[in-house]
Amino acid sequence: MAAPVHLHVVSDDRYPDWEAVYNDNVDRVYRLMYAKVGNRPDAEDLAAEVFVTALRPLRLAASVGEVRAYLLATARTVLAGYWRRTLGREITVLEEDWALVEPVADSGSTGAGARAEAILAELPERYRRILQLRFLNACSLKEAAAELGVTVGNAKVLQHRALRQAAVVADRMEA
Amino acid sequence: MRGVRRFVKDLLRQRRTKPFTVDRADESQLRAAIALKAGGSDTGPSPEFVESLRERLRTELDETPPVELPRGNSRRRFVTSVAAASAASIGLGAAIERGLSGAVTAEPSPAEQTLTPDNGEWRAVVAAKDLPDGSVRPFDTGTMVGFVRRTSKGLYAVSGVCTHLGCKLALDAPARQLNCPCHNAAFAVDGSVLHHRLPIALAPLPSLMVRESEGVIQVFVPPQPA
Repeated sequence: MAAPVHLHVVSDDRYPDWEAVYNDNVDRVYRLMYAKVGNRPDAEDLAAEVFVTALRPLRLAASVGEVRAYLLATARTVLAGYWRRTLGREITVLEEDWALVEPVADSGSTGAGARAEAILAELPERYRRILQLRFLNACSLKEAAAELGVTVGNAKVLQHRALRQAAVVADRMEA
Repeated sequence: MRGVRRFVKDLLRQRRTKPFTVDRADESQLRAAIALKAGGSDTGPSPEFVESLRERLRTELDETPPVELPRGNSRRRFVTSVAAASAASIGLGAAIERGLSGAVTAEPSPAEQTLTPDNGEWRAVVAAKDLPDGSVRPFDTGTMVGFVRRTSKGLYAVSGVCTHLGCKLALDAPARQLNCPCHNAAFAVDGSVLHHRLPIALAPLPSLMVRESEGVIQVFVPPQPA
């Protein structure tokens, strides 16, 4: 886990150089992307795209707040482009306005943990367990099946049903 | 359904997900799967990734053409090349000015830039009678989008693509401005930048060659691919 680098800045401050922009924002940009795509390689690609796109034309005379807002705007565009390219539909969008919140005491917080917990809390016990094991604890199907005392085939079916139910819950929470 | 299963499998194994055709029901499941996976504890970037991206940025940002400025420490060199990149990306002579801590910034020159495609051709975009004095009309030739306008001084055409990230501009005829739907930048109908909140130097829209011939307005644009 990377130690987030914090510059204790106020919104009128400026970054001295691009590395300061990078150090102060790489953790957040990555976490935001991870929260929206859920897998490491895609989140890394997208975070890289944000910095490559944004840093080149960046004017360091801009304030920290402006730079963060610009990174966020770039991240929104990059994420939307990613979904258009891959699935043709915007599965997730960046709505967070973290650029205006600063300094961020817990740069890791994207609210994703709380959201997952809220979805799980609405599910029946078996569904909650299988999703917890598979998605949050990174158990293999075999390990999850052993934990639940069912066959691998059953665990697979249980996971599909649980995810369908989780989708209904998540949609209801969004509405 | 198979697409969703594969997507979830890739997600759980932390592999790149693959494109497939998604319907509305799939969409909810993908979103739920992402929300659950992203709710885990390991959501931060790896130190290896942070370091390798830093190296990549250093290389990419330093590979831009050098500009004639005194060379100092590596920070100065970097900032110089950022300025060079901005200047190169807008394709204009840039006025280099010194900013904070030796940083330099590039502002686009207000000079007009005319886009002349290789192997271009004249394409009719609107009937001359439909473009009275003072009016602006959008056009789309398939290879270019833009706006033509007529004033008492003549005919003008500008590109219809935002010079920031390439979003298609929308004409606000009453306000006589071209709005970018992505980041709220706005250009005047003559292509100059009206306002934006991007901390970068935004280039004006390039002009296109335009003429009136046999009752139609034509613009000089790239040909359709065969």
